[in-house]
Amino acid sequence: MADELLQQAQELFEGQIDFEGQKQTELISTILLAVSGLLAFILGFALQNVYVTLWTGLGGAALAFLVVVPPYPFYNKSPERWLPSGSGMAGSGIEIDGKKIN
Amino acid sequence: MHSTLVRAQNVFGFFTTVAFCTAILTALSVLLTAQEPSAKIELRNVQVVKGRPHYYSPKKEEYAHIKFDLDADFTSLFNWNTKQLFVWVVATYPSSDASSLSQAVIWDTIINSHSQTHPFNPLQLFTKPPPPKKSSKANKPSAKKPKADPEPGMIHLKNTKPKYQITDVSGILSERTNVTLEIGWNVQPWVGALTWTLGKGQALGRWKGVDGGKSKAFDMPPLKKKSVGSETVVSSEETPQAAEASAVI
Repeated sequence: MADELLQQAQELFEGQIDFEGQKQTELISTILLAVSGLLAFILGFALQNVYVTLWTGLGGAALAFLVVVPPYPFYNKSPERWLPSGSGMAGSGIEIDGKKIN
Repeated sequence: MHSTLVRAQNVFGFFTTVAFCTAILTALSVLLTAQEPSAKIELRNVQVVKGRPHYYSPKKEEYAHIKFDLDADFTSLFNWNTKQLFVWVVATYPSSDASSLSQAVIWDTIINSHSQTHPFNPLQLFTKPPPPKKSSKANKPSAKKPKADPEPGMIHLKNTKPKYQITDVSGILSERTNVTLEIGWNVQPWVGALTWTLGKGQALGRWKGVDGGKSKAFDMPPLKKKSVGSETVVSSEETPQAAEASAVI
C-alpha cells in the first residue's frame, strides 16, 4: 500500500513527459524566452523607461515557466509503447545465427 | 527535459542568458543618444583661514573656503538607462614641487533620474490613483499628472557655500597662484559601464565634451587675520559659518 502511494508521489514530482513533449517544451521555452528578452529591450527603448524592460522581461520569463515546467497532459499525447514486462523471458523470439535463444 | 526539475533548470538557465543579453543591449543603447553638457562656473569669494581638522588634532592647517556660482545644463546626460548623476566641483592648482597638479573637491551632489524617483510599477495600472487631497472648487480632477516634473540636470547655484573646506598636504594654501575650479561628473547607469567627465574638445561618437566647465584662474588670498584668542575648528560634521569661530580652550 505504501509502495503504491510512494509510486504515485514519485510520478507526481517527477512529472515525466514523452519524447514528443520534450521536443515541444524545448522549442516553446527557447522561443518564449528569446522573444520576451527582445520585446523587453524594444519596448523599454521605445518608451524610454528601464522599468518597462524589467517587468516585460520578468513577465515573459514567468510565462515561459508556467507554460513549460508543469507536466501538462498535452505533452503526453504520444507515449512510448514499451514492450510488456517479462517479455525478455522465454518465448520472446530472440534469434542469433539462426538459432532461437531462451 | 524529461522531468519537472530538469525543465525548470533548463528554462532558468536560458532565462539568465537572455537577461544578460538584454542587459548588454540596454547598456550599449546609451551610445545612441546624443549628449551635450555645458557648464559655467565662476569664483565668488575665497577666504583662507587657519584651522584644525578636528577638535583634538594638534596640527594647525590652512583651509580655503571657496564660494562660487554655477550654471550647468546636464539634462542631455540623462537617458533611459541613467540611474543617478554625480556632479562635483574641484579646485585645481599646481602643487609645491610644480611638476604635478593638486586637486581637492569643494562641492558635490547627487541628482536622481526620473526613473529613480518615479519607478514604474505595472500594478499601478490596476489600482485607481488616490483622490486628490484638497477639494478643488471648479476644476475636475485631471487624469494626467498635476504638473510635469522638470527635467533633472539643470543646476543653478548663486554664491553657494562649499560643502568641503580644502587644505593642502603641506598645510599652506595662502597665496597659491593659478587656482581653477573645474566641474566633473559621473553617470551611474541601471546596467552598464560608469561614464566619467568628457573634457572640453573630447568627443565619443554622439557624445560631446563639456562646453565650458572651467573657471578663470585666480589666486588664493593671504591668510585672513583673526582676532586674538579665537581659532577655527574644522570638523567633518559641521561647517563653521563665515563669521563664526569657536574659542580655543
